[in-house]
Amino acid sequence: MVEDWFVVMLARGFAFSAPLLLAALGEIVTERAGVINLGVEGMMILGALSAFAVADASGSVWLGVLAAMVVGGLAALSHAFFSVTLRANQYVSGLALTMVGLGLSGLLGKPLAGRPLAHPMPRVDVPLLKDLPVLGPGVFADQSPLLYLGFLAAFALWFFFYKTRSGIVLRSVGENPAAADVLGVNVDLVRYLAVLFGGAMAGVAGAYLSLAYRPSWTEGMTAGLGWIALAIVIFASWDPLKAVGAAFLFGAFYHLAYRFQTYLAPEFLKMTPYLFTILFLVLSALGKSVRLGAPEALGRPYIRGERS
Amino acid sequence: MKKWFVAVLLVLGALAFGQEKLKAGFIYIGPVGDYGWTRAHDEGRKAVEKAFPWLETTYVESVPEGQVGSYIDQMVRQGAKVIFATSFGYMDGVLEAARRYPDVIFAHATGFKRAPNVATYMADFYQIYYLNGLMAGALTKSGKVGYVGAFPIPELKRHINAFTLGVRAVNPKAKVLVRWIYEWYSPAAAKEATEALIADGADVFAFTEDSPTVVQVAAEKGFPSFAHYSPMLKFAPDYVVSGQLVRWGEIYKDFLAKVRAGLYTAKNLEDVDYWWLLPQKAVVLGADFGVPVNPKFIPALKAKKIKHPVFGEISVYDLVMKLHALMSDVELAFDPFQGPIYDRNGVLRVPEGLRLSKQELQTIEWAVKGVVGPWPNEPK
Repeated sequence: MVEDWFVVMLARGFAFSAPLLLAALGEIVTERAGVINLGVEGMMILGALSAFAVADASGSVWLGVLAAMVVGGLAALSHAFFSVTLRANQYVSGLALTMVGLGLSGLLGKPLAGRPLAHPMPRVDVPLLKDLPVLGPGVFADQSPLLYLGFLAAFALWFFFYKTRSGIVLRSVGENPAAADVLGVNVDLVRYLAVLFGGAMAGVAGAYLSLAYRPSWTEGMTAGLGWIALAIVIFASWDPLKAVGAAFLFGAFYHLAYRFQTYLAPEFLKMTPYLFTILFLVLSALGKSVRLGAPEALGRPYIRGERS
Repeated sequence: MKKWFVAVLLVLGALAFGQEKLKAGFIYIGPVGDYGWTRAHDEGRKAVEKAFPWLETTYVESVPEGQVGSYIDQMVRQGAKVIFATSFGYMDGVLEAARRYPDVIFAHATGFKRAPNVATYMADFYQIYYLNGLMAGALTKSGKVGYVGAFPIPELKRHINAFTLGVRAVNPKAKVLVRWIYEWYSPAAAKEATEALIADGADVFAFTEDSPTVVQVAAEKGFPSFAHYSPMLKFAPDYVVSGQLVRWGEIYKDFLAKVRAGLYTAKNLEDVDYWWLLPQKAVVLGADFGVPVNPKFIPALKAKKIKHPVFGEISVYDLVMKLHALMSDVELAFDPFQGPIYDRNGVLRVPEGLRLSKQELQTIEWAVKGVVGPWPNEPK
């Protein structure tokens, strides 16, 4: 019985975590390059809409995912233009992107509301891994391929950050852009690419919502998940592997809020991951016992020759 | 010369007619593109505008509850003579605005405070919930029916109670497991609440949330469900049994026709409270208009026979149809809240031979026997 209960928690926790993980991974790359993009929610919902529209018209969910990546990337490009090229305030530009995304998707999506997707993205098992005890049925069976993609992306990004030269370049742009610049790194280009990647990943997260998690389009369907993804970035200390765990934690608590409703106030369980995040922030602010890992130059536009 | 004169008359007439158009404004809490509450009101608005050539309508969407006053100011400035405010939380804002604009007619959906120029209106589903409950009781194999609720307020408690009474009229041992999501619209919350109910053994589902999520999640696992508010049959044609639909347009037509005729003025609305049910056709049984029960489920519902205290041995399908007919008649020979009814703590709430009054229905807080789950504000 307890095992069943645990398996269901794993399965639901990971299913709910997929969009959070995908968007958080994208944002980690963006922020590691020193750009904060608060437009995750906006890019995610634009991704959700374009994925649904294309999958609905073409019958192919993978074309939908591709469309979501392109649209999410294009949306992010606007943020890159304002924050990198024009060196505008990154927070304002990101917030604007969220608002524009929510509004625009609502407007353009009106004709698609209230229509089911004829061929939603099928869930699949991972061969071999699915036969593991507990973890098999809990994590590697009957989940969306996009979740597995998220796992792979987390490992790939970890490898990229810590084992490749380009990863070091990207991180150095986020830590000390002036130094990177002196070494001949094109800071603006790296930041553009990082923001673009973040947008594409947020788009895929949106596609997960409208093609797999709940295959239909409704206005405002991201319902704040983009903001949770931003919290996960902090909670995971900008580490792609930790993001897998952090996203799962949010998902698991979200699931348990309904599982334990008879015994515990659901608000309490839903609030728990945020409490952890705040606690984490406080601890890291108080002492050096917890290394937060925020990129040094996060949120600051880079202007050559200006001391930061 | 004569022709010319006629043309002028026609133009003048048209102008006069144009000026005489009644302007009605609608204030919505959500976007018209949701798949629930606001969209349903907007369908009503479109229906009434189509029906009355002398009517002109405008609307604003996604108006936060605290800001209703300034949106009303704007509508009045634009010439609206009748304003419909379609969310419970607008109540005090509407009353305040009504004092500022004593000549404008207001109608507030789901509220209970009125004034000489403020009427209230509601299209309620509790009769239909009972019918859906009967069918759910016949279809559950585990004896556990899942209910995903938005907020634990009297409206939902009334519906869940009526639903549970229906379930247990067919299946006296069955339970209705309730989970609250504390949102009117949250697909993710609705999905996880449904998954939690599935994990707890529920195998038939009903809900109050403004998206077809519960229907879709249940269908994925092969479980039947009941739609809420909008036509959701197409989201799972093989698994949606029935549900409830609303036609706000019926109330809007009645109200505006009476305003036009001078029956309702800004002085006599103190006692105007629409509480429209099946007989007034403001609410409709089914998961889509014209389909009261999904034909795929009719054989199973016909096969399930029960002993009914009034009708004797009868199939659930026939019972649903009989009671639907009785409750659609203004005589209301049948009502779900017919005594004796005990709450789940064993307190007699409706004595034998009595029914709940409209007032009692609107303020109900207790839970009938068979409801399982948290129930905030439950009286001891």
